[in-house]
Amino acid sequence: MPQAEEIKLGQELMQSFLRARKNLRIYPANNPVYGKTVEDAYRKVIEYLDLYGDLDLKLRQNEILLGDKPVFQSVEKEDNLAFILFKDGVRELSLQKGLAQNEMKGFLEAISYDFDKGDDEDVVTLFWERDFDHVKYIVDENFLLEDETYEASATMRAREEETDEGELRRAYEEALKEQAEARVLDIVPITRSDLDQLVKEIEKDSGDKIPRLTAILIDMLVCSDGEAARENLKLICGALEYAVQNGLIYSAVHILQSARKTSEDPNVPETLRREMEQVFLFASSPPVIKRLGEELDSGNMGDLGILMDYVRHLGREAISSFITILGELKTIEARKTVIDALALLGEKDINALAKGLSDPRWYVVRNIIYIFRKIGDRRAVDFLIRAARHSDVRVRMEVIKAFGELGGQGVIQTIRDALDDPEQSVRTAAARALGQIKSEAAKKIIMNRLTAKEFVDLDFNEKKEFFEVLSSWNESGVVEFLLRNLRVSSFFRKGRYDEIKACAAYSLGLMGCKEALPSLHRLRESKNRLLSEYAYTAIKRIEYGK
Amino acid sequence: MESNELTQRFAKDLVNQIAVIVRTAQIHNPANVAVVSSVEKFVSLVNTLAREDGPVTLELVGEYFYLNEERIKFSMEYLLNFDFLQREFKRRSLGSLRFACEVNAGEMQTFLSAFLNSQYSPDPFDDLTLGMSAANCIECGRIRRIVEDDNYDLRKAVKRTYFNAVSYTRGVMNKIKAGERVSIKRAKRVIESMVDLLLEKEELLLGMTAIKNYDEYTYHHSVNVSILSVALGQRLGLGKKALMELGLVALFHDIGKTEIPSEILNKPTSFTGEEWEMMKGHTLLGVSVIFRMKGFDSSSIRAAIACYEHHIHHDKTGYPKVQKLSDLDFYSRIVGIADQYDGMTSSRVYARVPLAPDRALSLMMKRAGAQLDALLFKFFVNLVGIYPVGSLVMLDTRELAIVCSASPSEHLRPRVVMITDDTGIKAGPRTVDLTEKDPGGKHLRSIVKALDPAKYKVNIAEYLL
Ligand SMILES: [Fe+2]
Ligand SMILES: [Fe+2]
Repeated sequence: MPQAEEIKLGQELMQSFLRARKNLRIYPANNPVYGKTVEDAYRKVIEYLDLYGDLDLKLRQNEILLGDKPVFQSVEKEDNLAFILFKDGVRELSLQKGLAQNEMKGFLEAISYDFDKGDDEDVVTLFWERDFDHVKYIVDENFLLEDETYEASATMRAREEETDEGELRRAYEEALKEQAEARVLDIVPITRSDLDQLVKEIEKDSGDKIPRLTAILIDMLVCSDGEAARENLKLICGALEYAVQNGLIYSAVHILQSARKTSEDPNVPETLRREMEQVFLFASSPPVIKRLGEELDSGNMGDLGILMDYVRHLGREAISSFITILGELKTIEARKTVIDALALLGEKDINALAKGLSDPRWYVVRNIIYIFRKIGDRRAVDFLIRAARHSDVRVRMEVIKAFGELGGQGVIQTIRDALDDPEQSVRTAAARALGQIKSEAAKKIIMNRLTAKEFVDLDFNEKKEFFEVLSSWNESGVVEFLLRNLRVSSFFRKGRYDEIKACAAYSLGLMGCKEALPSLHRLRESKNRLLSEYAYTAIKRIEYGK
Repeated sequence: MESNELTQRFAKDLVNQIAVIVRTAQIHNPANVAVVSSVEKFVSLVNTLAREDGPVTLELVGEYFYLNEERIKFSMEYLLNFDFLQREFKRRSLGSLRFACEVNAGEMQTFLSAFLNSQYSPDPFDDLTLGMSAANCIECGRIRRIVEDDNYDLRKAVKRTYFNAVSYTRGVMNKIKAGERVSIKRAKRVIESMVDLLLEKEELLLGMTAIKNYDEYTYHHSVNVSILSVALGQRLGLGKKALMELGLVALFHDIGKTEIPSEILNKPTSFTGEEWEMMKGHTLLGVSVIFRMKGFDSSSIRAAIACYEHHIHHDKTGYPKVQKLSDLDFYSRIVGIADQYDGMTSSRVYARVPLAPDRALSLMMKRAGAQLDALLFKFFVNLVGIYPVGSLVMLDTRELAIVCSASPSEHLRPRVVMITDDTGIKAGPRTVDLTEKDPGGKHLRSIVKALDPAKYKVNIAEYLL
């Protein structure tokens, strides 16, 4: 019988198994904690094996015995090591000398399985699959018996009708009478090339089974109708869900492609083709898209472009699902991909996309505006006007950028308002947007702004932005205006006005305006360093095209 | 005939009464009225016979009790007690009880206490005989096995696993019919033990598939196909996990039949055209049943594929008709071969008359290449042999025999159970290995030809179970 010290070590072992059960469930296998947990438990087991030999345990529902002493007791449902093993029939368990660390890992993984998941997994099956050399167990299979008397009764009934002696006699005589016939069959020995071919077949077999299943389900679908057809459609959705659930996006795309082909096949009855929309609706549904998002984030998906192949088959219903996950994704790559997806889908229904503008998360709103920019549909303006008053400056910026790109009558007022935005960045963005639009009205707004009394007091950089924008109108009126500004002078606030001159010089430089050279050469001599440098740069630009 | 039935009745009562005594004595002490009265009843029974015929011998040979060398037939009503008593006898290596003269209750009580006391002893038979020295009239004999059988325990495990698999399958199919949820957990455990047994001694479990005359064809067929598939898979070099998956897939290949009305499924006459079409539908129905039962995962997908494909031939004939299916799935091809073989050699399916195993194989051989995958069939023939288990053969010694297991090395020389002597008289079963040679190096026996066991209503179960 084991002594106190052995029992103590046994108890510690059980605790380390329990700890392992906890850690292996929390941490992924590549986490260092995972590896260390296994190592710790392994070291403890080896310590025991070295001291006392094989560790032989007896299992009861709520306790584990070493010899006749309990080393583990629990009546809880959670983390009851005894019950985990007992419930599937394990009655004795032995960890034996020679146990390898890998076996320890396999053992701990098996007992760490989440058996409450309800997927019919079984600790004995997990042991069995691992084919341990140094983990032995005795299982009581009795509780698996469906019907204890079946063997005896089936055996009895099968044997009941005894072979008749007369019939045997007849067999005997007929066998003697008949000519012995040649053997009907010969064994053909297995050859090297048979084995080679077999290896190929087995390799081929390891591939993804979803395409085959899809072909079957589609075949079943096209020859069914009514309730059966609906049942079959559900199966196709089930297969799709499985594919997405397991990150098999290529397979999911394959299912959608096959479904699309069938739904466009003129040989398939019209009603069925219409019902097939369900598959695409399902593919667009929030839970499926959510799962896709997780997969995108996980980084396991490889080429994220595959998602676009998936998205191509979706309808406008997917838009809201994608907007939802847009705010939840963690990685930039994933967000980029979803933005691409929404750009593709948004074209189908900009109203649905616009709903995203009401999202409470500012970054989602900004992303949606960005998507509108990508789509480039002027109908978006009506939705975006509201977002131009968004409390977050980054959103307002994005709207102005979008408006600059979209152009048209409808955007001007909003951009003009943005010139008065409390944030400089928005104001300069508005200026740039006007430059992009490049209409007469836009020019006029810029000019007005430059000649307004307050303009001179703006920050140099902001002023410079406005002048830069103006330079995009390379026409005589603008040139004259700029030349005039080179000569502007004032006794008051000379520094501020020198800044205006510098900006005008900058602008003329950008335009490559030769007319401005004399004035610029003069300004080059200015004592104001900023002005002198800008004049110099402008001259070089104009003269050397630099 | 009538008297025979009477003696059978008497013999059964007698054996049953011993079981009753032992069972009662396991619960109560010897003086208890229940024990005393059951002992008295037995004493009166056995003495009735002794007075008429002299000494009474009860012997256990294999799975049967013999009373004065007459085999006692099993009957449903005594099944549990017979089974119980067999186990108790075997546990003590007790093979026979001889009542040399009329016995009295005291002697029976002596026997009883010796019997009970020997239960946990390391040498139960010796302790039993020692404890009975006071009972002059009762003699015990040690069990004799029909053949020297090293695999006795393994055989037990094989039978147990086989019937457990069948009863599980029956349970699952009935539950599905009733729309109840089923757990796949037990199926896995069942397949695990099948895989283990096939890895350990392939021919034993394989032999179980040769017995085809059960009432419940569909369940036995499912298990047989599973065993044959796993055995073939093992020959193909599949690993343990793959074998388990293959076993599951094969076990459920006909699960779609649960959706077919049993009047049609078990119809004793031929199907009408319409009924045939319904029967064929079990392939498609199987797909739905699988997913309803198990949801989607990698093995349910494989199972569904096999449900759908197992009647499609290699050359795309068969059913269901398919549009653009590529080659059949690997598992479907394996299951397809196992299914054809078991179906052809059984009596309940599409062919009402079972084919002799060797006939079935040769017919399949003709189909290989076109309807069957030639490569896999080659492995299959190598697995079951030229004379598969269950074949009825005549030997060059003019004896008739039934093949009971293939020989791993020599396909023409399996192990057989002899069923007649060289004049065609039914003889007590005896197992013989056809690879045996005389000292001069000549084979003692060789197969001359195969016969059709169904034609002569040979009950294979009588010899192999
Ligand atoms: Fe079938
Ligand atoms: Fe079948």
